[in-house]
Amino acid sequence: MIIVKDLKRCYGTGSTAVKALKGVSFEINKGEFVAIMGASGSGKTTLLRILALLDDATDGEYTIRGLKVSSLPESERSYYRLTQVGYIFQDYALINEMSAAENVYMLSMMEGRSKKESYATALEALDKVGLKGKHDRVPDELSGGEKQRVAIARAIAKKPDILFADEPCANLDTINSTQVLDVFKELNEKYGQTIVMVTHEPWHTDYVDRVITFKDGSLLSDEKQNQKVKLSSLGYGSCSTVINK
Amino acid sequence: MIDDIRVGSLIAYCSVKRGNKKTLIFIVFVLSLIFLNLVFLPSMIGGLSGLFTGFMQDYPYGDIVIEPTGDNTYINNADNVLKKVRAVEGVRAATKRVDVGASINHKQKVVGVTITGMLPIEEYDISRYPYIISEGDFLGDLSRDEIIIGAMIAGTGFGSEIYDNLGEVRPGALVDVTYSNGVKRTYKVKGIMEGTFEVVDLNALVHYKEIEDVYGLEGKEATSVVVRVSEQGTETFMKDKIREAGVNEQIFTWADKSESLIRQALQSMGAIDTMSKIVSLIVGAALVLIIIYINVLNRKKEIGILKAVGITPRSIVLSYAFLSTFYVCLGISAGLILYFTLMFYFQANPVVFYETMKISPTIDPVLLIQSIATMLTLSVIAGILPAWSVSKESILKAIWGR
Repeated sequence: MIIVKDLKRCYGTGSTAVKALKGVSFEINKGEFVAIMGASGSGKTTLLRILALLDDATDGEYTIRGLKVSSLPESERSYYRLTQVGYIFQDYALINEMSAAENVYMLSMMEGRSKKESYATALEALDKVGLKGKHDRVPDELSGGEKQRVAIARAIAKKPDILFADEPCANLDTINSTQVLDVFKELNEKYGQTIVMVTHEPWHTDYVDRVITFKDGSLLSDEKQNQKVKLSSLGYGSCSTVINK
Repeated sequence: MIDDIRVGSLIAYCSVKRGNKKTLIFIVFVLSLIFLNLVFLPSMIGGLSGLFTGFMQDYPYGDIVIEPTGDNTYINNADNVLKKVRAVEGVRAATKRVDVGASINHKQKVVGVTITGMLPIEEYDISRYPYIISEGDFLGDLSRDEIIIGAMIAGTGFGSEIYDNLGEVRPGALVDVTYSNGVKRTYKVKGIMEGTFEVVDLNALVHYKEIEDVYGLEGKEATSVVVRVSEQGTETFMKDKIREAGVNEQIFTWADKSESLIRQALQSMGAIDTMSKIVSLIVGAALVLIIIYINVLNRKKEIGILKAVGITPRSIVLSYAFLSTFYVCLGISAGLILYFTLMFYFQANPVVFYETMKISPTIDPVLLIQSIATMLTLSVIAGILPAWSVSKESILKAIWGR
């Protein structure tokens, strides 16, 4: 589904130039849940931003479902970001003046759906991440885990081909992190959502199919995971169980 | 485009609904002052120029004034002109006047004046002279050897300390008048007129017959024929009708005369008005721009996030255009409330100018519409420019500053 060929990213020029990515190549298949790991400065976030079209590669190319997205003009990149990609930020990146539902449904409206239809889609996405009944709350009225789940709902409401998550649990405690990872797991297992997640935490790899490790801008390893965590009952009953414990 | 508008308005709506209310109130307050600044001074200047032009209509020129052609001192057949004028439909009243130069002497005090010879009974329908007698009475049809003196030269009104005066002349006093042809007459002061306007209060009035006698006129001459029309605003049309009725003298509307007479004063005031408007506009534009720009800068990260999740730059720019338009609409509304409050206050309590002239501001709908349109245009530009520049930045720079 995703084919990355010799991707390079260099910041600055001359003696101050920093090579964040030194020519990485790999493929990700549809329906995979992939973790990208590595120390700080290894190039994992840079890679994710390039794949989500938030940044440009200096060299190399990548395709998503056969489309060479690396060379799309800005207007098409914007459309691609809207329709094909879901991006989850480390710090949630919600619009503080919008309710949970508004944060989600503005994207559906951008796609041309009616407000009513967009609202229904938003509620469905919020239900899916276990935020039923909290759609009217603004980010300030939500916990860190809930904010991240709103961000996930925003990303999945448009049913993207790929979901990119940049250290989605970095600001969360273990309980909230587990909730968020449970959501990813369910999306992946129940709905076949392709997910690419950058993480520092080794225990997060228990949730994924595959781990790609970076070191100093290069791909260090690419391993399949055999021991995966199982969602006890699937769905967000499991999240509640964790919270109650 | 429709989706851009829908999403732009949703972002703007949420920003207003859940944004900081204190900031909103502050922005609206500042914008209301900018609007007030745009409209208040021109309204006062409008009131001042209205006052001047009103004086011109009420005293020397009526609605239309007919004057001699070329170098002629008099309209030689004023009665004939009057007959033609009065026959024109739409003319309410007309009279003739003769203005002459003279000096008035009272107890060794001498003052130079213009004396207007008039037909007192006709003036009741033409001017406000009969209604501004502060002491004594106005002239009557049989008034001979009687004079009405302006308060400033009588020494009883405001301005007496500025201009030469006769030292508090009261009705019943006798004054000696020496006309420009050397003829001397003694008149009893019948009344003091106070129009709170120099053109009136520095003059004197006598019966037309007095001038006729002094200058040996044949009863048909006049230096002006003053006309009042039935319907205000038709002066130019009536001027043409009078011309068509066969009057070959010079015909002016009050506006023509006022324009030439107080053009300089109005031009000066106009220059102040224009300067004030330009400064207000620049300050207003800068303030609106700064307010919106700070707003945009504070939300630079938000703009980056919106772009990152797929909101088009056009939607983002539109949202700020809507937002600033909303701010400005509220600012204009608050400004209008302030403006009308001030207008009603100053109309009830006019600004006293020169101790006697009361200036009430005029509400000019055209000025209000122009100012509203200007503010709205500014708001759109002020909203679009900074948002457009930020939306053009890379997502990484907008969100993470690099």
